[in-house]
Amino acid sequence: MVMKTRIAIIGAGIIGVMIARFLVEKGVNDIVLIEKNYPGSGGSFRCATGIRASFTSPEHVEMMKRSIELWPILSEKHGFTYRRDGYIWLLSEEEHVEMFKKIVEFHHRYAVPTKIITPEEIKEMVPTINTENLLAGVYDPLAGKADCFRALLNTLEYVKNKGAKVLTRTKAEKIIIKDSRAQAVETNKGVIEAEKIIVAAGYGSKKILKNSGVDIPLENLPKHALITEAYKPLFKPLLIDWSTASYIIQVLHGGFLIGANMKEKPDTIPVNRIEYLYLAVKIWSKYFKWLPYTRILRYWTGYYVMTPDHHPVIGPHSRIENLYIATGFSGHGFMMAPSVGEIMSQYILGEKLSVPIAKNLKLERFEKGKYVKEIAIFG
Amino acid sequence: MDPEKVIICRCENVTLKDLLDAIDKGYTDLESLKRYLRIGMGPCQGKYCLILAASILRRRLGKNYDELLLPKNRPPLKPIEAYYFLKPPKEAKDLEV
Ligand SMILES: Cc1cc2nc3c(=O)[nH]c(=O)nc-3n(C[C@H](O)[C@H](O)[C@H](O)COP(=O)(O)OP(=O)(O)OC[C@H]3O[C@@H](n4cnc5c(N)ncnc54)[C@H](O)[C@@H]3O)c2cc1C
Repeated sequence: MVMKTRIAIIGAGIIGVMIARFLVEKGVNDIVLIEKNYPGSGGSFRCATGIRASFTSPEHVEMMKRSIELWPILSEKHGFTYRRDGYIWLLSEEEHVEMFKKIVEFHHRYAVPTKIITPEEIKEMVPTINTENLLAGVYDPLAGKADCFRALLNTLEYVKNKGAKVLTRTKAEKIIIKDSRAQAVETNKGVIEAEKIIVAAGYGSKKILKNSGVDIPLENLPKHALITEAYKPLFKPLLIDWSTASYIIQVLHGGFLIGANMKEKPDTIPVNRIEYLYLAVKIWSKYFKWLPYTRILRYWTGYYVMTPDHHPVIGPHSRIENLYIATGFSGHGFMMAPSVGEIMSQYILGEKLSVPIAKNLKLERFEKGKYVKEIAIFG
Repeated sequence: MDPEKVIICRCENVTLKDLLDAIDKGYTDLESLKRYLRIGMGPCQGKYCLILAASILRRRLGKNYDELLLPKNRPPLKPIEAYYFLKPPKEAKDLEV
């Protein structure tokens, strides 16, 4: 098989799909998405669906703020659910409260409306919570959640109706580069010639790029998550227990999804461990006395694809023409996908970037030692 | 029988019509149907509906078993009350982070 296309996108996760979406929106329909498994099969269908702009670097904040402008537009146009239900960080130690005061100040400088709230205020928003051990909370009213399945599938349907093609069960092996120009994608099913090639294959990007002579510092960090059966809506915000960095969210369908940190080595394959269930139940039963009576439905693992500064790689390659990269989302790729799709389409079509600071996120920053700086690492 | 009245997935209330419409839209493997219709995501974990959906898919599209992409079974195989995990057994490691 030899195929020809204007744009080849490797990876049909939420990132690849959103890039395609912003391209077809501008009339570019000659697109082929190359997916080794099926769309969403990587991180995108395993995520906790949380969306927020309350980060601690200007790059993250600006990208997420743009995403939060785009999410409601996408939700309406493509018919999936998105809601600004907020996030609350639960703080039980004095030093954490002090740290978060500084973070909130930083947010306000970037017009992110977080605020420190009292345990009583937490209880108003989360009526059944036990606030006995809590000193305070940090509330982010701009944060929210979306249906990760329909966000990807409905958007992909739209893109396909506009003429884009999706090759499933097709694995990209390498990019054929001649005279410092990306020319084609070699797959297990044949060669796809393209004018522009976008690598959005999550951790898979590392191998594809390596086979093409390009190094990218990515690590696959195993993560564990569980979900209960669906219950009636009980509380809206995603809650983060800051002392254990664990979160609970009632997803839009009604299940309670819990993520908690297990000790894991990067680049190892995670296995299901019963300890995870004990850990998740222990942390959240302290807050909710009904939790032990919910029924655990599913437990799964996935990865955060990490970079050295925990910020993604977004943009064109500095020396290889027509090669673009969008990966390494370090646990935040779902929420950022709309603005990444938009920015990538702007790079590809030579337009002005809607988030100028995104230029700091190109791969070359690692070669130049210009890592993205954060005022604190949290969440 | 009226496909709107035939229930394929009882947990998530998916009818035969929903399934046939989704197949016509291009959702032709079980992994995608699971996320699109939520078939197999409820308490039965797909024990009944996924097998039904698989045979309908095969009949309509003539795919072989391999191409149907039968989703993985995730633990616990049957929904289980969280209280069984309130007190870890002594041998459980890695509980503190
Ligand atoms: C438990 C958990 C909870 C999370 N919670 C959140 C959250 O609340 N909010 C948030 O924003 N993010 C969250 N994330 C992170 C989020 O899921 C990811 O950042 C996001 O899905 C990344 O999207 P992607 O398109 O880059 O990657 P993926 O969805 O992994 O897509 C990459 C695709 O490329 C394909 N591929 C790989 N190699 C090849 C190849 N050689 N050829 C062809 N195709 C290939 C893969 O099959 C895959 O489909 C969470 C992640 C996990 C694991």
